[in-house]
Amino acid sequence: MINELAKIRNIGISAHIDSGKTTLTERILFYTKRIHKISEVKGKDGAGATMDFMDLERERGITIQSAATHTTWDEHFINIIDTPGHVDFTIEVERALRVLDGAILVLCGVAGVQSQSLTVDRQMRRYKVPRLAFINKLDRSGANPYRVTQQLREKLAHNAVMMQIPIGVEAKHEGVIDLITMEAVTFGGDQGEAIQRGPIPPELQDEAAVARETMLDAVSMYSDELTEAILEERVTEELIHEAVRRGTLSRALTPVFMGSAYKNKGVQLLLDAVIRYLPSPLDVENTAVDLSADEAPIVLPSDPNKPLVALAFKLEEGRYGQLTYTRVYQGTLAKGGNIENSRTNRRHKVGRLVRMHADSMEDIESAGAGDIVALFGIDCASGDTFTDGTIDVAMSSMHVPDPVVSIAIKAKDAKAQDNLAKALGRFVREDPTFRSHVDPESNETVISGMGELHLDVYVERMKREYNVEVQTGAPQVAYRETISQRADYSYVHKKQTGGSGQYAKVAGYIEPLPEGDGRIWEFSNEVRGGAIPTEFMGAVEKGFASALVKGRLIGFPTIGVKVVVNDGQSHAVDSSEMAFISAARGAFRSCYSAARPIILEPVMKLAVEGPAEFQGAALKTIMQRRGTVIGTTEEAGFCRVEAEVPLAEMFGYATDLRSQTQGKAEFTMEFARYLPCPNEVTKELLEKYADRRKDEE
Amino acid sequence: MYRRFLNARSPLRLLEKGLHGGLGSGNLGLVIAGPGVGKTSFLVGVALDELMRNKPVLHVTLGHNVQHVRDYYNTVFEELAHTTQLDENHVAARAEMDRLRRIRAYPQSSFDAKRLREALALEAELGPRPELVVVDGLDVAQRTAAELEEWASAARDAHAEVWMGASVAGERIASLPAELRPLEGSFSVILALEPGDGSVALRALKDHDSRDVSALHVALDPKTLLLVRS
Repeated sequence: MINELAKIRNIGISAHIDSGKTTLTERILFYTKRIHKISEVKGKDGAGATMDFMDLERERGITIQSAATHTTWDEHFINIIDTPGHVDFTIEVERALRVLDGAILVLCGVAGVQSQSLTVDRQMRRYKVPRLAFINKLDRSGANPYRVTQQLREKLAHNAVMMQIPIGVEAKHEGVIDLITMEAVTFGGDQGEAIQRGPIPPELQDEAAVARETMLDAVSMYSDELTEAILEERVTEELIHEAVRRGTLSRALTPVFMGSAYKNKGVQLLLDAVIRYLPSPLDVENTAVDLSADEAPIVLPSDPNKPLVALAFKLEEGRYGQLTYTRVYQGTLAKGGNIENSRTNRRHKVGRLVRMHADSMEDIESAGAGDIVALFGIDCASGDTFTDGTIDVAMSSMHVPDPVVSIAIKAKDAKAQDNLAKALGRFVREDPTFRSHVDPESNETVISGMGELHLDVYVERMKREYNVEVQTGAPQVAYRETISQRADYSYVHKKQTGGSGQYAKVAGYIEPLPEGDGRIWEFSNEVRGGAIPTEFMGAVEKGFASALVKGRLIGFPTIGVKVVVNDGQSHAVDSSEMAFISAARGAFRSCYSAARPIILEPVMKLAVEGPAEFQGAALKTIMQRRGTVIGTTEEAGFCRVEAEVPLAEMFGYATDLRSQTQGKAEFTMEFARYLPCPNEVTKELLEKYADRRKDEE
Repeated sequence: MYRRFLNARSPLRLLEKGLHGGLGSGNLGLVIAGPGVGKTSFLVGVALDELMRNKPVLHVTLGHNVQHVRDYYNTVFEELAHTTQLDENHVAARAEMDRLRRIRAYPQSSFDAKRLREALALEAELGPRPELVVVDGLDVAQRTAAELEEWASAARDAHAEVWMGASVAGERIASLPAELRPLEGSFSVILALEPGDGSVALRALKDHDSRDVSALHVALDPKTLLLVRS
């Protein structure tokens, strides 16, 4: 077990595609001696066919993009956690980000801050992750770390401070000048493993002096001691390190490092910085929710002696069965110990506990607070919390929103059907907001989720990971029906067809549940004096429940209804459960239109961000979609528009926004609430439903 | 019903009845109060009064985020819906309020007359032109008379009136505090809010060109900042 929490770093490496994340990750693993040979991302034939992670992994037989890879540097333990760069708010992204304590933001030295950097950065900001920046590809023509640092300041509003300056760029890139030690650092040996420190070349001395002054100026903001030391001209390396660390941890400062991973320059110094400036689990405050106290937030101290709390943040189907990546937040996870899933309340015995390395896995006996390890053969869903059973807490809320959009899918190749089923089974387990079912009417497989993009991601993963190409139907919005006023009913179900008949009578009323109640329905039995025998009340409830499943306006579930039964009648011979189920269904049908039913549509919370000059264009795309603008925030040349827009209007939004804003604005979207459809939309939906009914007949 | 009730109890009636027909297009209005007395509530109340007449409002906030301001409106709105207990479809009324209200957030230092002009132009392009602007969080004492003249000019060009709030030290306001005196000429109307006995006292310190404003005071409900029912 790693006892020294202060020596653990749980970090992510986030980057724009093509800024060199793969190469940098590989170099990190090489220098930390986890892999023994460097292979290039580019194909050996030199034709420039870029291999992706998967191919590279396959060829090398290593995992450099597993959910968490463990490595060591300078007596510290580093867990590198894969951060998926999806744009949308999927639960998966959320979970990967919350297990990080810090991150490296990789930027291309030529292209600088690109649109995807904005997205990644925003996610990090949302999860309050302290960051270092690494400006990569200084060997490329057009590289300019000063410009990229400026972009970090202007476009991402980071207080970015260069901790190094380059010794030559483009073809002449040799190394960097460390502005703390004021030394020239070059990287010799075949693979840059021999670090040489020497005096700063004369031609760079002035530039270095100016850059150091700028750096000290910025960094001294976070340390009074350093400020004093500067005035008294007795600055030490330790004082600077301390100030940089403080600034970084408070997310007020982003120290900037640079080099070229491909040319083996600068990577070791970046690793030193990870150890020096990024937080250990002790520096980060983690919160969970107390399930025994209405999900009140509680702080979890990273203490290995407290009761266990661990989060399963990622599942992987490996060669040896299901691997569950877990972060321990409090307490200790031990082999042979018992753990309890706080969602299902099921207990499991920890059979095998492993640490994942790039090329192997290592069995371990226990893992303490702050550590990231994998469990073998534990049946759970991703996002589940494990405890030792003595406390009832969860790392995230147990409330999972219902999906708001569905599409029908079909494997293009009948042989792929098995794989499709496997893929769906796994995705459903990984992501509670993703659902799949077979529609009984059309016999089609339907997948549902939190947005068009959310489902796109899974369709893409079916292809990539399971080799299943699917055809997708048009996205369907999950409408709901509800009622807007009270309506009374009194209904007799009576059938006399020879033999024993059917007789049941129910009476009462239905009314809307109060706004914001959140429940699907409420059943209230107010029958007095045994007008309906108690043994049939279950059937009455069942009858109403089944009537709610398919609304009578457009066939979507009816929600927000209170059903009150206060009278009825039964017959000694002819009453049965079936009769009362039918009576309840008939009663609901009979009063539904008197209760003024309306159609509800899912409304999404949309945030569009981009340069301020596209604000008008972005606002127009919202207006055109029956959107309500909540507000606009303008800062440093950027603007953010928040709005609520009906989901039905959002299909194809990505393309439209791109063309309206020259690709410079981005958006994120999540489900907000259900709201009544406007009249014209209701009319259209009713007509469509009527047409469909006609077709079916 | 609901709307009319709300409008009838708006503190702005003080201005309309007792003063000269309200603030008026192209003019700047200022409300001053000690911290926590209710400047923002007052400004939100002024905005709601306009929104309930189905007219758009631009709410500029400096230092707060959009969501915070929206929550403020929702809270005041729910409070009103609750205390008035009038049975109008308030889901629909709230949706209408959301639609007509434009919130724009800026950092304190970057908002000026030029931005105000831009914002008003953009809003006019996108929908009905707001004739009321409320600005919360502005550090009024840090601005100059010349700058406020530019604000007034932007307001005149857009046919809009602009209300803003300023914090003053202490709860009692005998007269316009010294730091705001150089700016007195920039505002057509200046009001002061003071905590009173179970209510909040609203008093006019300046009303256009009137000499005597001593009769212009009313008591407001401390929760809603509406006129206390007489």
